[in-house]
Amino acid sequence: MRIKPIAFGILTVALFTGTIGVTMATGAWQTTGRTAAGAGAGGGGGPGSGAASGPVESGSATGDIKGWMTIGAVATTAGVSLPEILAAFALPADTPPETAVKDLESDVFSVTALRAWLTERTGPSTTTPEPASGTGADPASSEPAAP
Amino acid sequence: MSQTTARTPRPALGAIRRPRRGLAALRGVQGFRRATQLAVTLVVLAVVVERTLAVAGGAAGGTVTTGEALCPFGGIETIGTFLATGSFVSHVHVSNVILGLAVLLVAFFARGAFCGWLCPLGFIQDLVAGFSHLVQRRIPPVRRAVRTLERRASRLAVLDRPLRLLKYAVLAWAVLGAAAFGVMVFRDVDPWNALLEIGSATVGIGLVVLVLVIVASFFVERAWCRYACPLGAATGIVSRFSPIRLERVEAACSSCGVCTTACPMGLPVATATVITSQDCIGCLECVEACPRSGALELRAGLPVLPTISFLPRRSADVTSVHIDS
Repeated sequence: MRIKPIAFGILTVALFTGTIGVTMATGAWQTTGRTAAGAGAGGGGGPGSGAASGPVESGSATGDIKGWMTIGAVATTAGVSLPEILAAFALPADTPPETAVKDLESDVFSVTALRAWLTERTGPSTTTPEPASGTGADPASSEPAAP
Repeated sequence: MSQTTARTPRPALGAIRRPRRGLAALRGVQGFRRATQLAVTLVVLAVVVERTLAVAGGAAGGTVTTGEALCPFGGIETIGTFLATGSFVSHVHVSNVILGLAVLLVAFFARGAFCGWLCPLGFIQDLVAGFSHLVQRRIPPVRRAVRTLERRASRLAVLDRPLRLLKYAVLAWAVLGAAAFGVMVFRDVDPWNALLEIGSATVGIGLVVLVLVIVASFFVERAWCRYACPLGAATGIVSRFSPIRLERVEAACSSCGVCTTACPMGLPVATATVITSQDCIGCLECVEACPRSGALELRAGLPVLPTISFLPRRSADVTSVHIDS
């Protein structure tokens, strides 16, 4: 069967955009696994962080803390003052709140250590179900709080 | 296979088409293709700019969509890891997997058309090649210099075929490396990722590769696609099973070789009967350039699997099957 070149082009574009469109319509499309500290959605076990699906370990939101998050955002969402965090890990008191957690890592400070400290402060871990697909993908709805 | 073409009516022979030149060449299929390439590139560019501005505005790289979330190869790169552990490699989002599947779907039905119609990196290489042609047309010394360079490099033509295997090695390294080490081993050298992350101002090997690709495209069309693109390798493998292929009808062909000259992937279309090469990007430049009506046609039928070979044949440099009844 002969195929017209223009039909070949339309087929190509339709297959590609159609696949994306269908997944967007069904809510499967997610372009980020990153969520705000404390949002408790996706970040701990979402696709961007390595797990395909499943519940999120979010013990008082501390399980969602990632290295890319700013120390200010973590403090705000965890309900702990920034100076308190800095003092607890002997970090410089003049550390800007917009500094990424991963950029502060040292022998005594790490993302894991921060999670553990915050969990200790805010209570034991709980497991919360992951929200519906797509909710974590909306950048506007999951923007970190301003430091 | 012979039964397939036995039912195919032969076209009227010898009708000569006047080639389109200048802006007229952008009408029709090639205009549609260029518009598609431009649209996809602009969408990706918009995401990169939005991301760069958001980070500069203090979003701290937070939840704004990254350009790499729109890379289909991320979805293919994580296949090994996903099959082994049920998890994605770090930096892979659902969008990467969906895009990867969409590219493979396109590869099955339309062969390498993703590369020829949608891939922004391919479009950038096309733009560089177009600029090269323009410069060579307008500045004779440059044309002569390029011709001289091509003559001197012609002895390296024997490396063309083995070098085309490189992309399959890159594909294997990227997929198996990600599965073995849990990280995207290809990411640091990926020119596409370097382009997407160019706003972050981190100069790495990827940026060096990107510059090399752009420079190489001035001399060799689609250099990255020909030799090193792992996504092209993946689509090439899937395209082997495609029911759609390009056929050259010998009776209508004057063997002028214009199609071979027009092919950006360097496939000698003029000496093949059925073009089933994994390297074909479905750009249809050969069809557009062909001066004879009906000499090159797209046809759908049962998949043609004459040989399981990742290399084009030496004689025709494309998989060539005689299907005359």
